[in-house]
Amino acid sequence: MARRAGGGGRTPAAWAVAAALLLAAAAAGPAAAEAISGPRLDYVLHCMGCHLEDGGGAPESVPTLEGFGRFLQIPDGRAYLVRVPGSAHAPLDDAALAALLNWMLVRFDPTRARAPEFRPYEAAEVTRYRAVPLADADAERRRLLRVLDGDPSGDR
Amino acid sequence: MSRSETPSWERHLDRWAEAAARQLARGLSRRSLLGRLGATLAGAAALPLLPVSRVSAASSDPAPAAPEGLDGPEGDPSSCQYWRHCAIDGFLCSCCGGSHTACPPGTVMSPVTWIGTCRNPADGRQYVISYNDCCGKHLCGRCLCNRNEGDRPAYLPPKSNDINWCASAPSTVYHCSTAIVLGVATES
Repeated sequence: MARRAGGGGRTPAAWAVAAALLLAAAAAGPAAAEAISGPRLDYVLHCMGCHLEDGGGAPESVPTLEGFGRFLQIPDGRAYLVRVPGSAHAPLDDAALAALLNWMLVRFDPTRARAPEFRPYEAAEVTRYRAVPLADADAERRRLLRVLDGDPSGDR
Repeated sequence: MSRSETPSWERHLDRWAEAAARQLARGLSRRSLLGRLGATLAGAAALPLLPVSRVSAASSDPAPAAPEGLDGPEGDPSSCQYWRHCAIDGFLCSCCGGSHTACPPGTVMSPVTWIGTCRNPADGRQYVISYNDCCGKHLCGRCLCNRNEGDRPAYLPPKSNDINWCASAPSTVYHCSTAIVLGVATES
């Protein structure tokens, strides 16, 4: 029977080198891993898969988080950031979700998050907003952006 | 010339030829002759077609999942049992011309992905793993690995590995999956 291409002729030395490389690769992973904890870990586990590390999202499917603190300028916008499915459905309790949103605001909209008028989310506030289901997140987002842009058609 | 005048050697030759022809006719019917001839011609025609047929079949049908790479030590990145693969559902890129952290040539890594954690048996810690899909070529078909630890139904999209995460890539065609360590999860 013919040998498979590349399947024969490996020396014990070659296997030893391969095994050493494997061990080195396995050892390098944990040693180089960065510790992630707190709200940042929640962002990585529950948000970053779609919104990406820099918050940039994906064109036409995942909104960017850059400057998303502008929603805080109106009460419905402040509620929207909690009621949007990615927030409201996250497997986090209200205190953890409040901490996560506050961390995200500092990370992706530092100018607004450091302004004197910035008021961080609190757990009780998140509880209140989360209790009101959002039937059409896209439509609500468009409406809020029209209001924020000064378009009167955005008002209900 | 009368028969009696035929030389004896020619008569022997005639009888031998006649006997040989009758023997051949008795042992070889037309049906069997046609059958054997047909088989020979058909076989000769089929031989050069076989590789072509396989190629066309391979290009039109998704390749079946092959069993290679499914067993192996949990420290081997090309094995389904590799610890980082605890929640993967897809073809291992290390079997498809790439590695557990890099896409094969001709494919593009989807930026949008799903992220979970796996316990590293070497130190017992939970590591954050990003299962980025590689997109742009048809299904790899090798080393299907479906472990699903921590996987959630599709109504929880950020935690579901059944979603085609190539949806936001330049090509939505799924090829294989990677398992990239983002960090180690620690208590705050």
